[in-house]
Amino acid sequence: MIDPTILRLTVRQLLGQRRSIVMVLFALLPVLLAVLYALENDSSDAQEWTAKVALGGLVIGLVLPFTALVFGTAALGQEFEDGTAVYLLAKPIPRATIVFSKLVVAWAATTAVVVVSAALTGAIGLSGEPGEGIIAGFVAAAVVGSLVYCAAFLWLSIATSRALIVGLLYVFIWQGVVVSLFSGVRYFSISQYALGIAKAFITAPDEIFDPRLNVAPAVLFAVLVTVGATWLSVRALQRWEIGEAT
Amino acid sequence: MQPADARTGNIYDLGYRNYTGKRLGRRHAVLALYFYTLRGAFGLGRRTSSKIIPIVIAVIAFLPAVAQLAIAALVSDEVDIITPEGYFGFVEVPIALFCAAIAPEITGRDMRQRTLSLYFSRALQRRDYALAKLAAFATALTLLTLMPQVLLVFGNGLATNDVTGYISDNWADVPGTFAAGLLIAVLCAAGSLAIASQTPRRAYATVGVVAWFLISFPIANILVFAIGGVGRYAVFASPFDFIYGCTLWIFGVGAEFESVQEEAGFGLWTYFVAVLAYIGAGAALVVRRFARVSA
Amino acid sequence: MTQESPAVEVDHVSRWYGNIVAVNDISFALNGGITGLLGPNGAGKSTLLHMLAGFLRPSAGGVRVLGEPAWQNPAMYRRIGLVQERESVYPFLSGYEFVLDSARLHHIAEPEKAALKAIHMVELESAMSRATGGYSKGMKQRIKIAAALVHEPQVLLLDEPFNGADPRQRLQLMDMLRAMAKEGRTVVFSSHILEEVERLADDVLVIVAGRLAASGDFHEIRKLMTDRPHSFFLRASDNRRLAASLVADASVYGVELAGDDLRVSTSEFASFTQAVAGVARRAGVSIYEIRPTDESLESVFSYLVKR
Repeated sequence: MIDPTILRLTVRQLLGQRRSIVMVLFALLPVLLAVLYALENDSSDAQEWTAKVALGGLVIGLVLPFTALVFGTAALGQEFEDGTAVYLLAKPIPRATIVFSKLVVAWAATTAVVVVSAALTGAIGLSGEPGEGIIAGFVAAAVVGSLVYCAAFLWLSIATSRALIVGLLYVFIWQGVVVSLFSGVRYFSISQYALGIAKAFITAPDEIFDPRLNVAPAVLFAVLVTVGATWLSVRALQRWEIGEAT
Repeated sequence: MQPADARTGNIYDLGYRNYTGKRLGRRHAVLALYFYTLRGAFGLGRRTSSKIIPIVIAVIAFLPAVAQLAIAALVSDEVDIITPEGYFGFVEVPIALFCAAIAPEITGRDMRQRTLSLYFSRALQRRDYALAKLAAFATALTLLTLMPQVLLVFGNGLATNDVTGYISDNWADVPGTFAAGLLIAVLCAAGSLAIASQTPRRAYATVGVVAWFLISFPIANILVFAIGGVGRYAVFASPFDFIYGCTLWIFGVGAEFESVQEEAGFGLWTYFVAVLAYIGAGAALVVRRFARVSA
Repeated sequence: MTQESPAVEVDHVSRWYGNIVAVNDISFALNGGITGLLGPNGAGKSTLLHMLAGFLRPSAGGVRVLGEPAWQNPAMYRRIGLVQERESVYPFLSGYEFVLDSARLHHIAEPEKAALKAIHMVELESAMSRATGGYSKGMKQRIKIAAALVHEPQVLLLDEPFNGADPRQRLQLMDMLRAMAKEGRTVVFSSHILEEVERLADDVLVIVAGRLAASGDFHEIRKLMTDRPHSFFLRASDNRRLAASLVADASVYGVELAGDDLRVSTSEFASFTQAVAGVARRAGVSIYEIRPTDESLESVFSYLVKR
């Protein structure tokens, strides 16, 4: 199901460059903001700020999708762009194994970055206030959200040559504008799944953190999208055709 | 041509001729590059798949204007959701994504395909190349920053019962609308090309432009509202914020209650200065990049 | 393995992109030995090779390699190797790591041994621990070939393999491919350079504008095209008068009047096409139409003599 050689290749591809350093610095931005916040403010509304603004808004709303977009589209997309994909595809390996191996690496890289960001931001933002499961909830949201996003963006990178732009349109237009205007489409927002899952761990009252999806539909849709996108990826890779060299 | 004979050496006159006509020169070359780049920004003259993304984003940028016109036509022309100074707030995200998608194409293609040397070995100079690209991209962006508002003005005028009244009420906004639209287009072009021209890789360029527009924005918001103090200067790092401030200044409108601009507390004219500074710095970076890049 | 079926079997295969036909109704079958795909740039050689390698779906017809369908059949790659034209490598891998990873992805029993053997075949031992990102064009080409034959494939497909190789490497590469063919393997390579095909290939497939214009032994084709009598159909303002003048021309050995048409046989294609206009002008006759009777061979010929 998973090929160790592809894992190793992909890890070196994704992490061997400046890209990973930039992503880590980016993930530390919310942490920096939390430090500044903790220094400047008394702790009266630290819980709400940490849950809603820093973790819910910045980490899950921005750092998670952006990191997943970078790693998820690069894991296989960069091979297509560089013309190295043929070396993987001209091997007697089931296409599902290639997809799973690529997905695992993209997920692990995204999770590592986002979980550290979420945990540190939460710990510093709360700074001694009762946590009420906020950190655990957002770490879980980061882990699950990374998987769903990476699966979706991996499929985009096989299905279109402009996966990065299509992904950005999804994150910033669909999730950022359409979902906030029309509440009914919240079932089609991966960030909302992540927030819904976070709520399962959080015992704080609704004034502190109240996502728009309940836990059950969030989990259900997260599973559906992950499985669906992965299935589509395998199918698209089976039918992948070499393009004219660009 | 004589039939090839392997035993003797021959040089055949294939009829190549030197060009003896008039050479149109540098100015013409700049203009040609300008129009070629402008068309390319919307994928015109390229294959269909390169047209989809720019056209979809451009359509999204027109949606708020169309929605406003629909409301004015169907419900009431008293409902003014979109004010001339506020239109940017509705289209800032599509404009940013347009820059993120297209700016890497404007500057990156020639670097990736190693065609820069073909340009620089002609009458065109390196500075001309940079400025023609910049001008073309800025022109392309005015379609997004200005045309929806033009549509809105015309549409609103036609929807009212009192056309002359509408004109006399609104003509004062026209110069401001044009000034703001042009300024925003030039700023976005200069800023995103300055970033995108630094790398031939499309993905890196896109991520860089997105970072400048879309990642700085929520971070600046937090710095201004939750941190304050020195953090207030973050508005000058977030294009959405200082562009909006500049637009308010152009129209002579004050910052709204609880807006970033009010919370930051700077005079609105400072945003205008910031926009000019960014345009200057961005253009200088683009020119510098193409002066140094190996062709 | 079904021994009876040919190593490569292409059955009425076409491939089009939108309105552009890249490969037009090509059929052939190959067995062991070296086959050269010869044709000018853009003739459809790469498209055909990619269909053989299972990386393009034929729009019509079927491609079978070693008896199995090529499209959507990853198991096939156990027995075929592909060297693509693009000189892309994983820049961070050393030459050895690149070939070793290929061996591992093929699940070969002793990947290290196989990798060293393949690198030895392309004589790249001295550079094998350097990162491939810093390789020259010719070195990249050779490491790609090593990676493609690390699993000792029965069928080896190479797209323009001699691009970027210097003359010495070219000779060495040719020797290597000949050795592989001698072991009973099937080697198919594409080239737009006549000389390469002439020196290496046992069989040649000439592709012009997406169509198979000639196939078989190289020298046979050459002979067919230069020695055989060519014939042309002509229509002119005065067929009889033109016929009389043409008979006087040294390149013409037969003229036949058939109704409205004039049929001319010539032994020398090139000198006839050179001469015909002048002959007609001197005779005061206008030619309305001239066309060779066998277009596909003429196109091969014009390609081969033009180079």
